[in-house]
Amino acid sequence: MGIQIIVCIKSIIANGLNGQVVRSSDSRELNPYDRPVLEVALRIREELGGTITALSMGPEPCAFTLNEAMAMGVDRGVLLCDPALAGADTLATSNALAAAIKKLAPFDLVLFGTRAADSDTGQVGPQTAVLLDLPLVTGAHSVEPKDDGLIVERSADGFLECFEVCFPAGLTILSSANQPRDVGLLGIQLAFEERDVKNWNLADLDLSADRVGEAGSATNVLALSRMESVRKCEFLSGSAVEQVDALINRLSASGMI
Amino acid sequence: MDTFLSEKKRTIRRSVRTFCQREIQPIAKEIDQEASFPWEVVEKMGKLGYFGIQVPKALGGAGLDTVDYIIVIEEISRASAGLGLCVTVHNSVAVYPLLAFGSEEQKQKWVPPLAKGEKIGAFCLTEPNAGSDASAIEASAIRTNNHYLVNANKVFVTNGGVADVCLIFSRTDPNAGRKGISVIVVERGTPGFVVGDLEDLCGVRANPVSSIRLYDCQVPLANLLGKEGMGLRIGLAALDIGRIGIAAQAVGIAQAALGEAVRYAKQRYQFGVPISKHQAISMMVADMATKVDAARLMVYRAAVLRDKGKSFSQASAMAKLFASETSSEVTDLAVQIHGGYGYSKSYPVERYYRDARVTRIYEGTSEIHRMVIARGVLGD
Repeated sequence: MGIQIIVCIKSIIANGLNGQVVRSSDSRELNPYDRPVLEVALRIREELGGTITALSMGPEPCAFTLNEAMAMGVDRGVLLCDPALAGADTLATSNALAAAIKKLAPFDLVLFGTRAADSDTGQVGPQTAVLLDLPLVTGAHSVEPKDDGLIVERSADGFLECFEVCFPAGLTILSSANQPRDVGLLGIQLAFEERDVKNWNLADLDLSADRVGEAGSATNVLALSRMESVRKCEFLSGSAVEQVDALINRLSASGMI
Repeated sequence: MDTFLSEKKRTIRRSVRTFCQREIQPIAKEIDQEASFPWEVVEKMGKLGYFGIQVPKALGGAGLDTVDYIIVIEEISRASAGLGLCVTVHNSVAVYPLLAFGSEEQKQKWVPPLAKGEKIGAFCLTEPNAGSDASAIEASAIRTNNHYLVNANKVFVTNGGVADVCLIFSRTDPNAGRKGISVIVVERGTPGFVVGDLEDLCGVRANPVSSIRLYDCQVPLANLLGKEGMGLRIGLAALDIGRIGIAAQAVGIAQAALGEAVRYAKQRYQFGVPISKHQAISMMVADMATKVDAARLMVYRAAVLRDKGKSFSQASAMAKLFASETSSEVTDLAVQIHGGYGYSKSYPVERYYRDARVTRIYEGTSEIHRMVIARGVLGD
C-alpha cells in the first residue's frame, strides 16, 4: 500500500492587475516555493511507494494548479472550492485544509511549503498541523526515509537539527530543499487529459460557514496598493581600487553585506 | 497571445520555457561559438518528451497536437535556434514520415527510441545538384534479391553528425523520373555509411549539419518506407509539417531578438533619456512586436488547421514565408537598436541575426514558397 502523502499547495497571484486580488486563469500560477515540496513527496514515494494527493483551496481556475502538480507526478488532486471559502485569512484557510485532510484520512505525512510567493505569511502549515494535532517539523531542508519514518534536518540559529520522525507527521519544507524536477510533456498530457481534479465544497468538508472564508477570518486586509520603489544610478569615481572600496563601504553601511 | 491558449498549452509553454531558461540559455552562446552539440542537455530534453512530441503514447511519445509542437519549438528556438532546429527536424521530417508511412513493424522498431531521444533522426534529401528541385536527386537504391544497394551523397543534413536513423531519398527506378524516387531508412553503423565533415555554418551552429555519404550500403528490403516510387509524396507530406516547425523556429528567434531589443532600448541612455523614448526607436519596436505577433498567429493557424484535419499546405507555406522574413527583419532591427554593441559577440542579437538568415533558405526557400502560394492563389 505504501505511504499516503498529502501536499498542500497554493495558487498564487502572479499578476495582481491594478491591485485586484483575483485568481483567474490569467493571473494564477502554482506557488514556485511549493514545487520543492512536491519534489520531496515524489522522492519519498519513489522509495516507499504509495499515493500523493495534492490539496489546494481557491476558485475554479485553481484546479489548473492541481493539474500542474499532477503533471509533476502527483496521483490525484482535490480543490476546496466554494464561494463561502473566499476571503480567507491564514486561520480560515487552515480550518478548511484541516477539515479536508481529516476527510482524506488515513494519511501518513502532510507536507506544506514555508511561504507563498504572493502573501508570504508562512502560517498555514503550522496552524493546520495544530488543528490536526499533528507533530510538525518546520523549515526542513532534508528529508530521507528511514525504517518506518523519516530523518528530517533543519537549520536553526547556525545549528543543524536532526529529527527522527514517525508517521503520521507534518513537515514544512524550505524552497531551497531541492531542485524540483522538470515537467515532461507526457506528464502534462496525462494530467490535463486523463486525470480529474476533485472539487469539494463546504458541505463536503462538514464545516460551518462561520469557520471559513471571510467570516472565519481573524484578520482582514484593509487595503492593497503597489509600492513604488525609486531606483537611482550613481557612478563612482576614482581608480578601480578606490571605486571598489567605495562600493564596499556603501554596501556595508546600508547593511547589504 | 497566451490568452487564446488553453491552460494545458500554457502549462506546456511555461514548463518548456523554464527548462530552456535554466538549461539552454546559459550555454547558448558557447554552443554557438564552439559549434558543439550539447549531449547532456539533449538527453534531458529526451526524457522530457521533446523528441516525441506528437508520437502516440503507445509508441513512447507525448501524444500532443501540432499547436503543442510549435509551442515547444518556439520556446527552444528562443533559447537556441540550433537546438530548436534539431528538435523540429527530428519530430517533423524524420519521425512523422515513419508514423505516417511506416508499417507496424517499422514503427515498433524505429519510433520508440526516436521518441525518447535515445536516437536522433535525419531527413536526407538535398544533394549537391538537388535542392529546390528534389526530383533531380541522383542517389540510387538498386534492388537485389534480399537487399537494396544504396549509394548516395547527401549534403546539408540537419542533425547529420549525430543522426542514428536516416531517411535517404534515393532512386529505385532510374527511368521513372519523379515517380522513381523512394525513401530507404538507413541506420548509422551500416557498413558504407559515412558522416562527412560538419558544415562551418553562419548560424544555427549548435546543430551538427553535415554531409552523409553511403558507399554500396546493403540495406534490408524491409527498410523501404511506404512503397517504391512514393518518395516525393512522403517528402512533400513531411515538409508540409516541417515548415510549420521552421516557421515556429523563426518566431522563436524573432521573439528573442525583440525581447533583447526592448531590454536594451530601455536601459541605453542617449541625449539624456533611454533610447526607447526616441520615436525612431519606439516605432521600430512597434513594428517588430506587430510582425512577430502576426507571424505567430499565422503559424498557429497552420497548426490548428492540421489539428482539425483540414488542408494546411497553403497556410503552412504562408506562415513559413512570413515568419522567416519577419525573423530576418526583426533580428536586423534588434542589431540596429543595439548600435555598435549589436555587432559585437558580447550581445546575443548578432547570434539571432545569423540564426534567422537560414530560415529563409531551408525547408523551402522564400522563392519556392512564393511560387507555391502564387499557384494556390491564382489557381494555376
